[in-house]
Amino acid sequence: MTERADSDASSPIAPVPAKPKVLRGLALAWLLIVALLLSHNAYLWLVQRVSPDTDILALLPSSRHDDVMQQAFAHMVDSAQQKVVVLVGERDWDKAMQAASAYEAVIGKQPSLLQPMAGDAAQLQGAWLSTFNQSRLMLLTQEQRDKLHKDSPQQWGQLALSAMYGAFGGPKLGAWQDDPFGLFSGWVQARAQETPVRPRDGRLFVESGGRSYVLLLMNLQQSAFSISAQEHVIPLLDRATQAAKQSAPDVEIITAGVILHAAAGSRQASSEMTTIGAGSLIGIVLLMWLTFRSLKPITLIALSIAIGCLGALSVSWLLFGRLHLLTLVFGASLVGIAQDYAIYFLCARLGTDRHMDSRQLLRRLLPGLGLMLLAAVIGYLGMALTPFPGLRQMAVFSVLGLLFAWLTVILWFPALIHADSLRSTGLADRYSHSIGKWPQFRFNRIGVVLLAVFAVFVVAGLMRLKVSDDIRALQKTPQHLIDDQIKLGKLLDTPTPAQFYLVRGDSAEIVLQREEQLKRHLQTAIDKKLISGVQAISNWVPSRQQQQADHDLVADKLLAPQGALAAIATAIDENEQWQQDLRQRLLAQSKPLLPDAFIASPAGQPWRHLWLGKTGGQSATQYASIVAVRGLSDYRQLQVLADVAPGISGVQWVDKVADISSVLSYYRQYMTWALLAAYATIFMLLSLRYRRAAWRAIAPPLLATLATLALFGVIGQPLQLFHVLACLLLLGLGVDYGIFLQEPTERHRRFAWLTVGLSAISALLSFGLLALSSSPPLHAFGLTMLIGMALVWLTSPCFAGSKPPTYDTN
Amino acid sequence: MIFTLRTFHKILGALAVTAAFSATAITTANAAAPVAQIQAALAKPTLMCGRFDQTKQLTGIKKPLLSNGRFCVASGKGILWQTLQPFPSTLRITRNAIVQMQNGRVAMRLDAQQEPVVKMINNVLFSLLAGDLSQLDKLFELDGTIKNGNWHVALKAREPGLAKAIGDIQLDGGAYVNKVTMQEASGDHTDIVFSGIQTGDKAMTPEEGAMFD
Repeated sequence: MTERADSDASSPIAPVPAKPKVLRGLALAWLLIVALLLSHNAYLWLVQRVSPDTDILALLPSSRHDDVMQQAFAHMVDSAQQKVVVLVGERDWDKAMQAASAYEAVIGKQPSLLQPMAGDAAQLQGAWLSTFNQSRLMLLTQEQRDKLHKDSPQQWGQLALSAMYGAFGGPKLGAWQDDPFGLFSGWVQARAQETPVRPRDGRLFVESGGRSYVLLLMNLQQSAFSISAQEHVIPLLDRATQAAKQSAPDVEIITAGVILHAAAGSRQASSEMTTIGAGSLIGIVLLMWLTFRSLKPITLIALSIAIGCLGALSVSWLLFGRLHLLTLVFGASLVGIAQDYAIYFLCARLGTDRHMDSRQLLRRLLPGLGLMLLAAVIGYLGMALTPFPGLRQMAVFSVLGLLFAWLTVILWFPALIHADSLRSTGLADRYSHSIGKWPQFRFNRIGVVLLAVFAVFVVAGLMRLKVSDDIRALQKTPQHLIDDQIKLGKLLDTPTPAQFYLVRGDSAEIVLQREEQLKRHLQTAIDKKLISGVQAISNWVPSRQQQQADHDLVADKLLAPQGALAAIATAIDENEQWQQDLRQRLLAQSKPLLPDAFIASPAGQPWRHLWLGKTGGQSATQYASIVAVRGLSDYRQLQVLADVAPGISGVQWVDKVADISSVLSYYRQYMTWALLAAYATIFMLLSLRYRRAAWRAIAPPLLATLATLALFGVIGQPLQLFHVLACLLLLGLGVDYGIFLQEPTERHRRFAWLTVGLSAISALLSFGLLALSSSPPLHAFGLTMLIGMALVWLTSPCFAGSKPPTYDTN
Repeated sequence: MIFTLRTFHKILGALAVTAAFSATAITTANAAAPVAQIQAALAKPTLMCGRFDQTKQLTGIKKPLLSNGRFCVASGKGILWQTLQPFPSTLRITRNAIVQMQNGRVAMRLDAQQEPVVKMINNVLFSLLAGDLSQLDKLFELDGTIKNGNWHVALKAREPGLAKAIGDIQLDGGAYVNKVTMQEASGDHTDIVFSGIQTGDKAMTPEEGAMFD
């Protein structure tokens, strides 16, 4: 027994007889708290059915956080999320229709999963036209406007006459006398050209590359993100595709929908969950079995971490009122550090004499355990000081989790683990003795040379390290889904969902005027074929100002006493009265069209997602709308579109891909600073206890992190947020190892080394195996943990310092 | 990826079809009856030209609008519709475009690329000329009678939107179509009577032939 161990072992026994009672009381109190946590969690998840936030933009600081923009996204996303779009294409239209019928027959058997979206065209027509009928005189296409300015009333009269006499006068809507110049028909025709989809034989038809496609639109009856819906819908779609191919062997089927991506993600996650998850669980169980010949330790470790997570969840939810999914994922992995408290206690128990009871052991371990907790808490609090809500949540979540796990170890483990509970195995013994043979790092010639070589490697590697915050690098969607998506987008000329203009103004009228201004600015981009056009409410409902101008233009050029109407009257031998009557009839169609009325009508239904209407809150009423871009030909030229926005007040270019990437970039940068700050604070804290030996505790994680990052630089893996997060975890675990190995006695040090080994291998198995994941973020996180953890583990004894004085008498 | 059901586009499309169909209907006559007899009674020339006389009665206008001109239907090429009186204008329907010329300039043009319906109309048209009734049967309910080589067919669009937009079409004929009648829901009414029909290579003047090139 060492002097210290002696004093530890003997002093507390006799003088405080009441202590076990106090401890028992505390343990029971903790049981009550854990029961409360459990019920609060059950209430949250089962009764309230809370769900974590998933919008990555919600992680931006609130000053940068834009409610209207978020609403805009929700609008765009909601309108797409529940849809499944299928194109059935064949060279022969009849065969395409036949295949489409076979496809639909399969889908039709499961009406509870997918419902075809259909509208009764005949029923809609009346309602559709009635939206515009009263406003016919207010609606002109740009081409018509130009022509009215340019051409004389006589030319318009001629045109109208030849249309009257001809068998074919261009598109015609209703009676001649309601649209004598074909202006309204032309306007409707222009609106029709916003989509290449046309009716044909009772089907929706698109044609491209010599193939005729039947367009099938279906509505998902359950959420696209429901796993059970995915499990049923995907096979159903596959069966339908098979049926279509059977009826027409050469048929091409293009399918798109959020559910396909969601299902691919779930499939990947669940298959990895079974392989990686099972592998890591079996590994850890085996490890504990080989070390302790008992499964009790693993249960206890899991218990402490589980209580940590439950506590973190409950209290964080009470504090924030909401949690982000990213907080849960990151936070839960950081709570992984809590395994060290339990493992430390267990190994120390193994390495301590049987006559010292667990309470006394705890007293001896308390300073080390306290330091470990303090180091982690102080380290993570750095994250809480950043302005990012996500990082603050993560920091609080992790700190709470660690605290709860720590308290579980302190309050329960002495009662749960007795001196006889654990027995050391031969393997554990052999391993723990290996620390004696470990080379020690010294500042001699070899040490300095090694350090120099290492420094060169790190500098060279870090200089080559690139960063990447591109969200697209984080997603891995199966290529065939992406191909289908692109093809479908081209065929249907759909707008880009992640990039659009957000237009704002103090009134609906101002918003529409700004949209019109924007469209004028975009004309160059359309002329250069960068985009094919835009979808905007103002295409359908021009601003009042524009409507009035168009009305005046028509009234002046065509309906005035000496205008085109007069020319027609003369030609068909009608009198002044006839002119007067027709003019009155046409002028009666001058009711201004308003956006709200349009949106509420069946005609406006497909465009609802573009109109955000009244937004904002108490301070000022604001109106907002979306102008979506169609037929973008070159994604590299997005900047051209972005550059248009600053020139028009109230117009903002929104690029969700770029925005999310910038969130990731901010987080990566702030997390890096938080990491550096954590190193600094933890170093200072350790200095208080270990004085000049503090560097020995911080060196392993620091060097391992530098080496890992340099290695990424060498192999060309760009640095992401997820690497930095793993580095934070490396610091947390690595410092613990440093603290363990600063144990003063040979025997204690042996069991500290066992603790390090168990903790490191568990971390390798639980986090390092994620390197096998095909999900890029998990892979990045796992690979960093794999390399870094191995390095921390294997180098930590090198910095443990010279052998402690051999006053060990055991 | 935002796509929404555009039911109303059915209607829009129907309108485009309607417009073109006023022209289509003329040639519909050649093969419009489901009855095999009517089909048998029709001569199916690859090239056919003739004179047309059209009477239009528009709601709100006292006098009927009378016009006449020449028409040509060339299998594999398209349709030429030249109004001569009272206002000269030319309508040319080909696979790629529907173009209306007036006073030497284009008054209206619908490109197949821009408006997919154009291609569709022409497909229907050409299958009509080939005597393929299945295409027409898909779009219309056909109701025909034939007596002594003279026949009458009533067409009603199967699609309600289309039916509402174009109204009723009636065809009368023998070896060729003699008369087309169109009655729209708005009350507008059109009669087209064909006469002097010639077939064979010489039916079309060189000028007319040039318009197809």
